[in-house]
Amino acid sequence: MIETLLFAGCALCAIAGALGAALVKNLFHAALLLGLALVGTAGLYLFLEAQWLACVQVVVYVGGILVLILFATLFSADILGAVQRAPWSVRMAGWLGAVLAGGVAWRLVQVVLAEARHLDRTRSAPGVADPLTTSGGAAAGNVLLSSWFVPFLATGLLLTVALVAAVATVQRFRRPANGGSEAIRG
Amino acid sequence: MAEFGPSSLASYLIVAGILFAAGVLAIATRRNAIGVLIGLELMFNAAALQFTAYGRFRAGAPDPQGQIAAVFVVVAAAAEAAVALALLFAVYRTSKDVDLEATRELRS
Repeated sequence: MIETLLFAGCALCAIAGALGAALVKNLFHAALLLGLALVGTAGLYLFLEAQWLACVQVVVYVGGILVLILFATLFSADILGAVQRAPWSVRMAGWLGAVLAGGVAWRLVQVVLAEARHLDRTRSAPGVADPLTTSGGAAAGNVLLSSWFVPFLATGLLLTVALVAAVATVQRFRRPANGGSEAIRG
Repeated sequence: MAEFGPSSLASYLIVAGILFAAGVLAIATRRNAIGVLIGLELMFNAAALQFTAYGRFRAGAPDPQGQIAAVFVVVAAAAEAAVALALLFAVYRTSKDVDLEATRELRS
């Protein structure tokens, strides 16, 4: 019972944070609500016996990416609530986006329910297998360093390339020059 | 319908679906590039949650490869955020205006 309540709390955090991040006008608040959604998802990972992944989620997402995004919102002029007037076309696009997202959500829930009904019949009861060998951090580490070793190295390479590219981008456009912003427009 | 709770796959997938839809909504409606980035992160997060849930509830025994896929998603999100924020920074520096909205409106 208490487990279900905790699970519902985490799910509610994730859903409320996500909807708030999508809908709130103030960008700073939206970034904070994104943090709520990320923490709620980390709680869901705990219920999935992925404690290590929950730690990664909190450290990388909340500690890294969210701080970066919060830092970036400080570039925006209207962080403290001066809401910009959206022209008519943008508001129409907003309604179209809402309809699109509603359709996506509806279809996803339909597919998920059909799929889960099928899987519930075939899966074993949770917690049957030894959690130390078949799930959790130790098993994930074993798999990561055996059959996923090359993708793991490739990931490191990707991160290096991305960080070097980020630094190079900032360096290249550091001095304001005539037509400098033209290069970024595409 | 499976009951809502920590031991049913459907509840995780519904949460992930709602997260993904919220990301789509943010990307479709935000004018500010940072808002679009927030929507992207939400969609990445939903995908990682789906991977982990499917791995946990795999028929037979739990499969840690779902978690591995989720870790790769997190890494991709981190790289994407770094590059996107560098681009934003470059736009701010060159346009001499910290507001991306103004940059966009000057363009059109």
